[in-house]
Amino acid sequence: MAGGIALRRRVKKAPAAFLGRLGLEIGGFGLNFESDQSGIISILSSRYGKFGAAGKPRFSLKVYGASGSQSPFKPAIVLTGSKLEIGRGDFSSGLDLATGAGSLRAAANEQCLDAFLRSLISFLLLRSGGFMLHSAGLVKNGKAHLFLGKSGAGKSTLSKLAAAAGTEVISDEINLLRFEKGGFRVYGSPFWGEMRADGRPGSWPLGGIHLLGKARENSLSACPGGEALKLLLRCLVNFDKSPQAAELALKNSARLLAAVKFSRLKFSKIDGSFLDLVK
Amino acid sequence: MNVKIKKELAFRRIAGEVFIVDAAKAEMHELNGTAALIWEGLAAGKTEKAIVSAIMSEFEIEEKTARADFADFVKELEKAGLLSSV
Repeated sequence: MAGGIALRRRVKKAPAAFLGRLGLEIGGFGLNFESDQSGIISILSSRYGKFGAAGKPRFSLKVYGASGSQSPFKPAIVLTGSKLEIGRGDFSSGLDLATGAGSLRAAANEQCLDAFLRSLISFLLLRSGGFMLHSAGLVKNGKAHLFLGKSGAGKSTLSKLAAAAGTEVISDEINLLRFEKGGFRVYGSPFWGEMRADGRPGSWPLGGIHLLGKARENSLSACPGGEALKLLLRCLVNFDKSPQAAELALKNSARLLAAVKFSRLKFSKIDGSFLDLVK
Repeated sequence: MNVKIKKELAFRRIAGEVFIVDAAKAEMHELNGTAALIWEGLAAGKTEKAIVSAIMSEFEIEEKTARADFADFVKELEKAGLLSSV
Protein backbone atom coordinates (compact mmCIF):
# COMPACT_ATOMS: atom_id res chain seq x y z
CA MET A 1 0.00 0.00 0.00
CA ALA A 2 1.64 3.26 -1.24
CA GLY A 3 2.26 5.96 1.29
CA GLY A 4 1.86 3.49 4.12
CA ILE A 5 -1.53 4.68 5.14
CA ALA A 6 -2.37 3.03 8.36
CA LEU A 7 -5.86 1.99 8.97
CA ARG A 8 -6.82 2.93 12.41
CA ARG A 9 -9.68 1.29 14.03
CA ARG A 10 -11.22 3.57 16.49
CA VAL A 11 -12.86 1.66 19.18
CA LYS A 12 -15.02 3.60 21.50
CA LYS A 13 -14.90 2.10 24.91
CA ALA A 14 -18.24 1.57 26.53
CA PRO A 15 -18.42 2.62 30.15
CA ALA A 16 -17.79 -0.33 32.40
CA ALA A 17 -21.04 -1.81 33.54
CA PHE A 18 -20.42 -2.08 37.24
CA LEU A 19 -22.85 -3.47 39.69
CA GLY A 20 -21.47 -3.55 43.20
CA ARG A 21 -23.13 -5.86 45.63
CA LEU A 22 -22.26 -6.75 49.18
CA GLY A 23 -24.01 -9.03 51.67
CA LEU A 24 -23.41 -8.51 55.38
CA GLU A 25 -24.72 -10.02 58.57
CA ILE A 26 -24.50 -7.79 61.62
CA GLY A 27 -26.24 -8.61 64.88
CA GLY A 28 -27.90 -11.54 63.15
CA PHE A 29 -29.54 -9.27 60.57
CA GLY A 30 -28.78 -10.04 56.95
CA LEU A 31 -28.25 -6.87 54.91
CA ASN A 32 -27.67 -6.62 51.19
CA PHE A 33 -26.24 -3.49 49.57
CA GLU A 34 -26.34 -2.81 45.86
CA SER A 35 -24.90 0.15 44.09
CA ASP A 36 -23.67 1.15 40.67
CA GLN A 37 -21.07 3.29 42.40
CA SER A 38 -18.09 1.17 43.23
CA GLY A 39 -16.82 3.63 45.85
CA ILE A 40 -19.53 3.06 48.42
CA ILE A 41 -19.51 -0.71 48.09
CA SER A 42 -15.73 -0.84 48.39
CA ILE A 43 -15.87 1.32 51.55
CA LEU A 44 -18.51 -0.97 53.03
CA SER A 45 -16.49 -3.99 52.00
CA SER A 46 -13.24 -2.79 53.50
CA ARG A 47 -14.92 -1.57 56.71
CA TYR A 48 -17.31 -4.49 57.32
CA GLY A 49 -15.85 -7.22 55.11
CA LYS A 50 -15.35 -9.60 58.02
CA PHE A 51 -19.10 -9.63 58.48
CA GLY A 52 -19.72 -10.67 54.88
CA ALA A 53 -22.60 -13.10 54.36
CA ALA A 54 -23.86 -15.01 51.37
CA GLY A 55 -27.27 -16.10 52.63
CA LYS A 56 -30.61 -14.57 51.74
CA PRO A 57 -30.69 -11.14 53.35
CA ARG A 58 -33.57 -9.86 55.45
CA PHE A 59 -33.08 -6.35 54.10
CA SER A 60 -31.90 -5.19 50.72
CA LEU A 61 -30.83 -1.62 50.10
CA LYS A 62 -30.05 0.15 46.86
CA VAL A 63 -27.30 2.59 47.65
CA TYR A 64 -26.76 5.94 45.93
CA GLY A 65 -23.99 8.43 46.45
CA ALA A 66 -24.98 11.77 47.94
CA SER A 67 -23.29 14.80 49.34
CA GLY A 68 -24.00 16.51 52.62
CA SER A 69 -22.48 17.47 55.90
CA GLN A 70 -22.79 15.56 59.16
CA SER A 71 -25.03 18.27 60.55
CA PRO A 72 -27.42 17.49 62.15
CA PHE A 73 -25.10 14.91 63.66
CA LYS A 74 -27.64 12.81 65.53
CA PRO A 75 -29.65 10.57 63.24
CA ALA A 76 -33.43 10.91 63.30
CA ILE A 77 -35.65 7.86 63.05
CA VAL A 78 -39.29 7.83 62.02
CA LEU A 79 -41.41 4.70 61.72
CA THR A 80 -44.75 5.05 59.95
CA GLY A 81 -46.52 1.73 59.62
CA SER A 82 -43.85 -0.53 58.16
CA LYS A 83 -41.92 2.33 56.57
CA LEU A 84 -38.74 3.20 58.40
CA GLU A 85 -36.92 6.42 57.66
CA ILE A 86 -33.47 7.14 59.05
CA GLY A 87 -31.57 10.28 58.24
CA ARG A 88 -29.05 12.86 59.24
CA GLY A 89 -27.14 15.56 57.32
CA ASP A 90 -25.09 13.17 55.21
CA PHE A 91 -27.45 10.24 54.69
CA SER A 92 -31.10 9.38 54.28
CA SER A 93 -32.64 5.97 54.08
CA GLY A 94 -36.09 4.55 53.54
CA LEU A 95 -36.78 0.92 54.32
CA ASP A 96 -39.97 -1.12 54.19
CA LEU A 97 -39.72 -3.45 57.14
CA ALA A 98 -42.45 -5.68 55.73
CA THR A 99 -40.77 -6.37 52.39
CA GLY A 100 -37.18 -5.69 53.43
CA ALA A 101 -36.61 -3.43 50.42
CA GLY A 102 -35.21 0.04 50.69
CA SER A 103 -32.74 2.63 49.63
CA LEU A 104 -29.86 4.56 51.11
CA ARG A 105 -28.46 7.85 49.89
CA ALA A 106 -25.18 8.43 51.61
CA ALA A 107 -21.90 10.26 51.41
CA ALA A 108 -19.15 7.89 50.35
CA ASN A 109 -17.18 7.83 53.57
CA GLU A 110 -16.76 5.45 56.45
CA GLN A 111 -18.14 7.73 59.18
CA CYS A 112 -21.37 8.25 57.30
CA LEU A 113 -21.94 4.57 56.55
CA ASP A 114 -21.00 3.66 60.12
CA ALA A 115 -23.55 6.13 61.49
CA PHE A 116 -26.24 4.69 59.24
CA LEU A 117 -25.49 1.11 60.24
CA ARG A 118 -25.39 1.94 63.95
CA SER A 119 -28.76 3.67 63.62
CA LEU A 120 -30.34 0.81 61.70
CA ILE A 121 -28.92 -2.03 63.80
CA SER A 122 -29.78 -0.30 67.09
CA PHE A 123 -33.37 0.11 65.85
CA LEU A 124 -33.63 -3.55 64.80
CA LEU A 125 -32.05 -4.86 68.01
CA LEU A 126 -34.53 -3.02 70.22
CA ARG A 127 -37.36 -4.59 68.24
CA SER A 128 -35.80 -8.03 68.52
CA GLY A 129 -35.95 -7.86 72.32
CA GLY A 130 -32.37 -6.73 72.70
CA PHE A 131 -30.14 -3.70 72.78
CA MET A 132 -27.14 -1.98 71.28
CA LEU A 133 -25.10 -1.14 74.35
CA HIS A 134 -22.16 1.11 75.15
CA SER A 135 -20.11 -1.60 76.77
CA ALA A 136 -17.04 -3.77 76.61
CA GLY A 137 -17.73 -7.38 75.67
CA LEU A 138 -15.52 -10.35 76.49
CA VAL A 139 -15.84 -14.09 75.97
CA LYS A 140 -15.09 -16.29 78.95
CA ASN A 141 -15.77 -20.04 79.09
CA GLY A 142 -17.84 -19.79 75.92
CA LYS A 143 -20.12 -17.09 77.35
CA ALA A 144 -20.24 -13.39 76.65
CA HIS A 145 -19.89 -10.93 79.49
CA LEU A 146 -20.79 -7.29 79.04
CA PHE A 147 -19.27 -4.46 81.04
CA LEU A 148 -21.46 -1.39 80.99
CA GLY A 149 -20.00 2.04 81.19
CA LYS A 150 -20.18 5.45 79.59
CA SER A 151 -17.11 7.29 78.34
CA GLY A 152 -14.23 7.12 80.77
CA ALA A 153 -15.60 4.18 82.75
CA GLY A 154 -12.75 1.96 81.59
CA LYS A 155 -14.22 -0.09 78.73
CA SER A 156 -11.16 0.16 76.51
CA THR A 157 -8.72 -0.22 79.40
CA LEU A 158 -10.50 -3.37 80.55
CA SER A 159 -10.66 -4.71 76.99
CA LYS A 160 -6.95 -4.16 76.39
CA LEU A 161 -6.07 -5.88 79.67
CA ALA A 162 -8.33 -8.81 78.78
CA ALA A 163 -6.86 -9.10 75.27
CA ALA A 164 -3.33 -9.02 76.72
CA ALA A 165 -4.36 -11.89 79.00
CA GLY A 166 -5.51 -13.91 75.98
CA THR A 167 -9.25 -13.35 76.37
CA GLU A 168 -11.33 -12.71 73.28
CA VAL A 169 -12.78 -9.21 73.10
CA ILE A 170 -16.09 -8.86 71.24
CA SER A 171 -15.91 -5.07 71.23
CA ASP A 172 -14.40 -2.42 73.49
CA GLU A 173 -17.17 0.08 72.77
CA ILE A 174 -20.49 -1.18 71.38
CA ASN A 175 -22.00 -4.64 71.78
CA LEU A 176 -25.06 -6.17 70.16
CA LEU A 177 -27.46 -8.06 72.38
CA ARG A 178 -30.40 -10.05 71.03
CA PHE A 179 -33.17 -12.06 72.62
CA GLU A 180 -33.78 -15.29 70.74
CA LYS A 181 -35.04 -18.77 71.52
CA GLY A 182 -35.79 -17.81 75.10
CA GLY A 183 -32.37 -16.40 75.92
CA PHE A 184 -30.01 -13.50 75.34
CA ARG A 185 -27.06 -13.76 72.97
CA VAL A 186 -24.29 -11.31 72.22
CA TYR A 187 -23.31 -10.97 68.58
CA GLY A 188 -19.93 -10.08 67.16
CA SER A 189 -19.66 -6.33 66.68
CA PRO A 190 -17.95 -4.29 63.96
CA PHE A 191 -18.34 -1.16 66.11
CA TRP A 192 -15.21 -0.52 68.15
CA GLY A 193 -13.63 2.26 70.14
CA GLU A 194 -9.98 2.88 70.97
CA MET A 195 -8.84 -0.63 70.10
CA ARG A 196 -9.96 -0.07 66.51
CA ALA A 197 -10.30 -3.76 65.73
CA ASP A 198 -12.60 -5.20 63.09
CA GLY A 199 -14.39 -7.71 65.29
CA ARG A 200 -15.54 -11.04 64.01
CA PRO A 201 -18.88 -12.64 63.29
CA GLY A 202 -20.25 -15.11 65.80
CA SER A 203 -22.58 -15.15 68.78
CA TRP A 204 -22.30 -16.27 72.38
CA PRO A 205 -24.89 -16.83 75.11
CA LEU A 206 -24.91 -14.00 77.61
CA GLY A 207 -23.08 -14.97 80.80
CA GLY A 208 -23.48 -11.81 82.85
CA ILE A 209 -23.62 -8.06 82.92
CA HIS A 210 -21.27 -5.99 85.02
CA LEU A 211 -21.37 -2.33 85.90
CA LEU A 212 -17.90 -1.06 85.39
CA GLY A 213 -15.73 1.02 87.69
CA LYS A 214 -12.00 1.59 88.14
CA ALA A 215 -10.39 0.98 91.52
CA ARG A 216 -7.07 0.10 93.10
CA GLU A 217 -8.18 -3.44 93.75
CA ASN A 218 -10.46 -5.81 91.92
CA SER A 219 -13.83 -6.51 93.50
CA LEU A 220 -17.17 -7.91 92.47
CA SER A 221 -20.39 -7.13 94.34
CA ALA A 222 -24.11 -7.51 93.88
CA CYS A 223 -25.94 -4.74 92.12
CA PRO A 224 -29.52 -3.73 93.02
CA GLY A 225 -32.02 -3.91 90.17
CA GLY A 226 -32.84 -0.21 90.16
CA GLU A 227 -29.20 0.80 89.87
CA ALA A 228 -28.61 -1.78 87.15
CA LEU A 229 -31.59 -0.54 85.16
CA LYS A 230 -30.50 3.08 85.35
CA LEU A 231 -27.05 2.34 83.98
CA LEU A 232 -28.44 -0.07 81.40
CA LEU A 233 -30.72 2.62 79.99
CA ARG A 234 -27.93 5.21 80.09
CA CYS A 235 -25.71 2.85 78.08
CA LEU A 236 -28.39 2.12 75.52
CA VAL A 237 -27.52 3.27 72.00
CA ASN A 238 -30.82 4.44 70.61
CA PHE A 239 -31.70 7.17 68.13
CA ASP A 240 -35.42 6.42 68.04
CA LYS A 241 -37.15 9.02 70.20
CA SER A 242 -40.62 7.54 69.89
CA PRO A 243 -42.71 6.43 72.89
CA GLN A 244 -42.72 2.92 71.36
CA ALA A 245 -38.93 2.78 71.57
CA ALA A 246 -39.04 3.87 75.22
CA GLU A 247 -41.67 1.22 75.90
CA LEU A 248 -39.50 -1.43 74.27
CA ALA A 249 -36.42 -0.31 76.16
CA LEU A 250 -38.24 -0.75 79.46
CA LYS A 251 -39.83 -4.05 78.42
CA ASN A 252 -36.51 -5.51 77.22
CA SER A 253 -34.74 -4.22 80.33
CA ALA A 254 -37.26 -5.91 82.61
CA ARG A 255 -36.70 -9.20 80.79
CA LEU A 256 -32.94 -8.81 80.91
CA LEU A 257 -32.93 -8.00 84.63
CA ALA A 258 -35.02 -11.09 85.30
CA ALA A 259 -32.85 -13.34 83.14
CA VAL A 260 -29.30 -12.29 83.92
CA LYS A 261 -27.29 -11.53 87.00
CA PHE A 262 -26.02 -7.97 87.23
CA SER A 263 -23.00 -7.20 89.33
CA ARG A 264 -20.70 -4.28 90.00
CA LEU A 265 -17.11 -4.92 88.92
CA LYS A 266 -14.32 -2.68 90.09
CA PHE A 267 -11.03 -3.43 88.43
CA SER A 268 -7.44 -2.41 88.76
CA LYS A 269 -5.71 -1.37 85.56
CA ILE A 270 -2.53 -3.23 86.53
CA ASP A 271 -3.36 -6.50 84.78
CA GLY A 272 -6.12 -8.85 83.69
CA SER A 273 -6.52 -10.53 87.08
CA PHE A 274 -10.08 -9.15 87.34
CA LEU A 275 -10.99 -11.91 84.89
CA ASP A 276 -10.80 -14.40 87.78
CA LEU A 277 -13.86 -12.69 89.29
CA VAL A 278 -15.91 -13.03 86.12
CA LYS A 279 -17.67 -16.38 86.29
CA MET B 1 -58.55 16.06 89.32
CA ASN B 2 -58.23 17.34 85.77
CA VAL B 3 -54.89 15.89 84.76
CA LYS B 4 -53.64 12.69 83.17
CA ILE B 5 -50.31 11.10 82.33
CA LYS B 6 -48.87 12.31 79.02
CA LYS B 7 -49.42 9.64 76.42
CA GLU B 8 -45.89 9.86 74.98
CA LEU B 9 -44.34 8.57 78.20
CA ALA B 10 -43.34 4.96 78.74
CA PHE B 11 -43.25 3.52 82.24
CA ARG B 12 -42.90 0.19 83.95
CA ARG B 13 -42.46 -1.21 87.44
CA ILE B 14 -39.06 -2.88 87.57
CA ALA B 15 -37.26 -4.14 90.66
CA GLY B 16 -39.90 -2.59 92.90
CA GLU B 17 -39.68 0.91 91.43
CA VAL B 18 -41.57 2.66 88.69
CA PHE B 19 -39.34 3.95 85.91
CA ILE B 20 -40.67 6.58 83.55
CA VAL B 21 -38.90 7.25 80.27
CA ASP B 22 -39.51 10.37 78.23
CA ALA B 23 -37.78 9.36 75.01
CA ALA B 24 -38.25 12.69 73.27
CA LYS B 25 -36.43 14.53 76.07
CA ALA B 26 -34.06 11.62 76.78
CA GLU B 27 -35.10 11.80 80.44
CA MET B 28 -35.73 9.09 82.99
CA HIS B 29 -37.55 9.37 86.31
CA GLU B 30 -37.79 6.79 89.04
CA LEU B 31 -40.51 6.57 91.62
CA ASN B 32 -40.87 4.49 94.72
CA GLY B 33 -43.25 4.21 97.66
CA THR B 34 -46.15 6.65 97.64
CA ALA B 35 -45.04 8.25 94.38
CA ALA B 36 -45.14 4.92 92.54
CA LEU B 37 -48.56 4.14 93.99
CA ILE B 38 -49.97 7.49 92.88
CA TRP B 39 -48.44 7.19 89.42
CA GLU B 40 -49.84 3.73 88.86
CA GLY B 41 -53.23 4.92 90.11
CA LEU B 42 -53.20 7.79 87.62
CA ALA B 43 -52.07 5.42 84.87
CA ALA B 44 -54.97 3.08 85.65
CA GLY B 45 -57.41 6.00 85.44
CA LYS B 46 -58.36 5.81 89.12
CA THR B 47 -60.05 8.74 90.82
CA GLU B 48 -58.29 10.92 93.36
CA LYS B 49 -60.51 9.41 96.04
CA ALA B 50 -59.49 5.86 95.10
CA ILE B 51 -55.80 6.73 95.01
CA VAL B 52 -55.95 8.51 98.37
CA SER B 53 -57.73 5.51 99.81
CA ALA B 54 -55.00 3.20 98.44
CA ILE B 55 -52.30 5.38 100.02
CA MET B 56 -54.09 5.34 103.40
CA SER B 57 -54.37 1.58 103.28
CA GLU B 58 -50.84 0.88 102.04
CA PHE B 59 -49.00 3.24 104.38
CA GLU B 60 -51.49 3.32 107.28
CA ILE B 61 -51.77 7.10 107.36
CA GLU B 62 -54.69 9.48 107.90
CA GLU B 63 -56.78 10.76 105.05
CA LYS B 64 -55.59 14.35 105.55
CA THR B 65 -51.94 13.29 105.15
CA ALA B 66 -52.72 11.05 102.17
CA ARG B 67 -54.58 13.89 100.43
CA ALA B 68 -51.69 16.27 101.03
CA ASP B 69 -49.18 13.71 99.70
CA PHE B 70 -51.31 13.22 96.63
CA ALA B 71 -51.67 16.95 95.94
CA ASP B 72 -47.95 17.61 96.46
CA PHE B 73 -46.91 14.83 94.16
CA VAL B 74 -49.33 15.82 91.41
CA LYS B 75 -47.84 19.34 91.57
CA GLU B 76 -44.37 17.84 91.21
CA LEU B 77 -45.44 15.80 88.22
CA GLU B 78 -46.97 18.84 86.57
CA LYS B 79 -43.79 20.81 87.21
CA ALA B 80 -41.76 18.02 85.63
CA GLY B 81 -44.01 18.12 82.57
CA LEU B 82 -45.23 14.56 82.98
CA LEU B 83 -48.95 15.36 83.09
CA SER B 84 -51.33 16.95 80.65
CA SER B 85 -54.73 18.52 81.16
CA VAL B 86 -57.78 16.40 80.56
